[in-house]
Amino acid sequence: MKEIPDKNILLFRSCLVSVEYPGVESSTKFVFDKLGINYAISEKQTCCTGLGHYSDVFDQVSTSAIGARNFRIAKELERPNLVMMCATCYAINKKSVKLLNKKDDLREKINKLFDENGLAHLKYEKGDLKPTENIFHVVDILYNKIDEIPDKIKYDLSGYTIATHHGCHYCKVHYEDTIGGVRDPRIMDDLIEACGCKTIGWYDHKRSTCGTGFRQRYSNRELSFSATADKMNAIDDEDVDILVHLCPNCHIQFDRYQHLIGEREGRKFKAIHLNITQFIALAMGGDLDKVIGQKAHTVPINSIIKELKEVEK
Amino acid sequence: MRDDLKVGVFLCECGGNIADTIDLDEVRDALDVEFIGQFENLCSLNGRKIIRDAIFDYDLDRVVVAACSPISHEKTFQDYVKPLNPYLMDMANIREQCSWVHSDKKKATHKAITLINASIEKVKQSDAVDPIYCQTPKEVAVIGGGIAGMNAALSLAKQGTKVTIIEKSPSIGGHMAKIGKVFSPVKIAEECGMCLLNPILNELVWNENIEVLTNAKVIEAERRAGTYNLIVEQSPRYVDPEKCIACGKCAEVCEVEVPNDWNDNLSMRKAIYRPFGQSYPEAYVIDMENCSKCGDCFRTCNMKAIKLKRKPEKLLLQVGSIIVATGHKLFDMEKRPEYGYDRYDDVITQSELGRITGVNGPTKGKLLKANGEVPKRVVMIQCVGSRDEKPDGHKYCSKICCTVALKNANIIKHKYPDTDVLICYTDIRTPGMFEKYYKHTQENEVRFLRGRPGEVVKKGDNFIVRTEDTLKGEFVEIEADMVVLSTAMEPSEGTCEIAEILNVGTTEDGFIKESHPKIKPVATDVQGIFVCGTAHDPKDITDSIMQATAAASKVSEYNYGGVEIEPFIAEIDKEKCIVCGECIARCKYKSMSIQDDEIYIDPMSCTGCGKCLVGCNQRAITVNGNIDEKILSTINGVLSKKQEGERMILVFLDNIGYTAADNIGVNRLSYPESIHIIKVISVNRVRPKHIRYALDNGADGIFIGEFPGDLMYDEVERKIQRVKDRISEMGHNHERITFSKVYIPYFSGLARKFNDFDKKIAELEEGK
Repeated sequence: MKEIPDKNILLFRSCLVSVEYPGVESSTKFVFDKLGINYAISEKQTCCTGLGHYSDVFDQVSTSAIGARNFRIAKELERPNLVMMCATCYAINKKSVKLLNKKDDLREKINKLFDENGLAHLKYEKGDLKPTENIFHVVDILYNKIDEIPDKIKYDLSGYTIATHHGCHYCKVHYEDTIGGVRDPRIMDDLIEACGCKTIGWYDHKRSTCGTGFRQRYSNRELSFSATADKMNAIDDEDVDILVHLCPNCHIQFDRYQHLIGEREGRKFKAIHLNITQFIALAMGGDLDKVIGQKAHTVPINSIIKELKEVEK
Repeated sequence: MRDDLKVGVFLCECGGNIADTIDLDEVRDALDVEFIGQFENLCSLNGRKIIRDAIFDYDLDRVVVAACSPISHEKTFQDYVKPLNPYLMDMANIREQCSWVHSDKKKATHKAITLINASIEKVKQSDAVDPIYCQTPKEVAVIGGGIAGMNAALSLAKQGTKVTIIEKSPSIGGHMAKIGKVFSPVKIAEECGMCLLNPILNELVWNENIEVLTNAKVIEAERRAGTYNLIVEQSPRYVDPEKCIACGKCAEVCEVEVPNDWNDNLSMRKAIYRPFGQSYPEAYVIDMENCSKCGDCFRTCNMKAIKLKRKPEKLLLQVGSIIVATGHKLFDMEKRPEYGYDRYDDVITQSELGRITGVNGPTKGKLLKANGEVPKRVVMIQCVGSRDEKPDGHKYCSKICCTVALKNANIIKHKYPDTDVLICYTDIRTPGMFEKYYKHTQENEVRFLRGRPGEVVKKGDNFIVRTEDTLKGEFVEIEADMVVLSTAMEPSEGTCEIAEILNVGTTEDGFIKESHPKIKPVATDVQGIFVCGTAHDPKDITDSIMQATAAASKVSEYNYGGVEIEPFIAEIDKEKCIVCGECIARCKYKSMSIQDDEIYIDPMSCTGCGKCLVGCNQRAITVNGNIDEKILSTINGVLSKKQEGERMILVFLDNIGYTAADNIGVNRLSYPESIHIIKVISVNRVRPKHIRYALDNGADGIFIGEFPGDLMYDEVERKIQRVKDRISEMGHNHERITFSKVYIPYFSGLARKFNDFDKKIAELEEGK
């Protein structure tokens, strides 16, 4: 497996996490602290442009320029390891590093733009960051500490039926860097097993998209929701209580729209939706309000998790 | 003295290829030699008479042929200069490296004069030497006892060659023994595979020139002077094949049951077993990993054939050549979890379907699902792992899967006309006569859908195969009760292992690489090692047999003709040598060894690089052929034609770099006239004194190219760096020397490097 850092980390904030599920960020910090991971957050960091980029609002030049700016911030903090809570930020930033290193004309164009606008200090030098060695998703960092997770588990969640939904932008964009398989992605299943639980493993449509498709959800609603419905039906067929995510885009699509799609399908879906860090934080004893942030969830977490029983040591 | 030698120059017009660009009249006027003649096509048979007559008439001592590249015709002209010694002829390459890369006639003509002059000076330094002929042992090892290995062995044995087949499994026969039926595209009929294989197997068993080692694999290999020493490890069968009469009583009493791998684990076998009915050696074998050592078989065997205490043995095999026929394996279905192979019993591979429909298979030829029912709807999925650019997939086409699917579909249709068979394909690839079989299959009402299914899921009792019908542009869900996957062919583990042990090159996909895909399809990049069958790339039985017999034929060529080696290799003066072993340690090609208390140099592996010369304090080693002097004279020959203001860059390349440079001409790219390429036997032979001499005497730049795969690459790179440092100290600009990687296929890159270097040298001149 590739080298994964546990220090000099810039935890890269995500718009969707901050706005929709702030509990994902507090859970990540909670779990990182438990596992002794050295990280910081920067107020200077901006959005990765992901939503806008995939909706054709920002072109690649703007996206990579924003990337270069954020990479400079990481370098200045001497935290060159960018760790993303959102799969889209992950894929976008990895691509930007690749492009900035490889495409001389793009890099020069962006550096020239910086120069012309009095931002010369943001300039990106070829090789400043490396796509594989510096750009990570939170799950990568956790996977590297997987052996330390079992000791920190407080609550036993093994009584629930658990399934995983691995985001496309983690599994299907930069194959070479994805840990735990891409055809049958298992990184979250392994992490959940480290919490003393079993997942259902493979299920129909396990690899499918959540259906968000960025602008598709708004401009191509029927297509977007039928993809989500396929997956929700498959999950309900397996009687899943908790669906675990690693991307806030997917999280929104399932949690916010579950009721609507249930009406559309004439079926009452029950699964609650947790980010992998929320799941682990919960198992490690994180407070449902202060850490997990349950109030931001549309499908109430307590509709499934009614009481928590401590693991027998 | 050498200056008095009479040199004849023969200019070839090459049917206009040369004469249209180079003014040969001017060339003739510019050169001062004993004889100079011009001909339309010197390589034609007339050329032989023209050259020979001139040699007699003018009493020539040396010959220069100014024509195409020596890579094309050196052998031809070495023959045409008879009775002169072949090494008293040199070729000036005025086609690939002059008329084809330059368009300015005046400059091209001057360059041709320079190149010919360099050849004249060089050939004066040549001495008559004889090529070295090496005879290799005639014995052959065939690694792998499948259909390819069996045919190669049989062909050689029938020509009187002793062959040893080394087979890893307990029986020869390979994949063909288990595929059930084969089909002929011409007869449009399927026939019994075993019935075709059996006669070959019998013939092989009875042939006295063939020895078969089963349960055996090569674990070490070493080559010395054309002899391969193979260390073969043979695991015991624990049943003495000499005594066993294959009565099967032992298996009857054996209580251990394990999945039968020969039946793709679709049935069970005992721990003592015979792989299949016609397996050879005709004896049982104990699978020690699963044996409970209860001793029942031992007590039952009347023949006392069971030998439980046997140990693995190591055998030494000495052979002159090797045929690699280690075959393929099938794609690991764990890599395609979406097709549910591990989850559902009735998702099977074509190989398993072959077993199921084979009369000697687990169901005695009946097509049955795991629950014992005949399937009503079978869906076949093509290109599983082939033509797949996703992770773990193979980009290549496995070539046989379309026809295998057609065959199995037809077999199902013959036996169960009511069963629907649908083949989901990417493209149907049935070239030549196979197309008729495809038509026949369509007429048999097998259905086809163009699309690569995304996944197979089970809903209730049925499978749902989800795919896009790419002709209709529609998403479809197909119901099925059996799904058959056409899995990719990939190199077997044995193929990967043997490639490493024998140090033969492989393709990026791990198959054994042929030395030239067009004209040398069975030779590998190691002399004396040949390849056939699916170890080389995916192919069917027919192609495997053709390639196997071709490999056998190449071995015969090799056994008969011996190997001709250029004589420019190291030689030891035994009077001076104190057998200190310094040269053995230095030689990167491992061509030196001590034999009978003397240093022995293997002429087949020595490249004449001269590395050993440096370390020999006794000065007991020489490399034949006046190579130092030849290089110096060539440099002189080029530089003496330098005109006022002319830029001259000397490029030193060995055979590989020279071939790449030729390819620039062959592809009609261009580079500056300043580039003068000098072919050397090994780049390492270009010594610091040569470089200094060239720079002192008018060379403006020195370009040294080396193939990174050459064992001397690192050494040469370091040496050039040292020369650069020294040159700076002596007041030259070290930028005038450059060292570069060269690759045969990357000729356009080499042309670009020539252009860049010329530009750089020009800038240095301006700066001055």
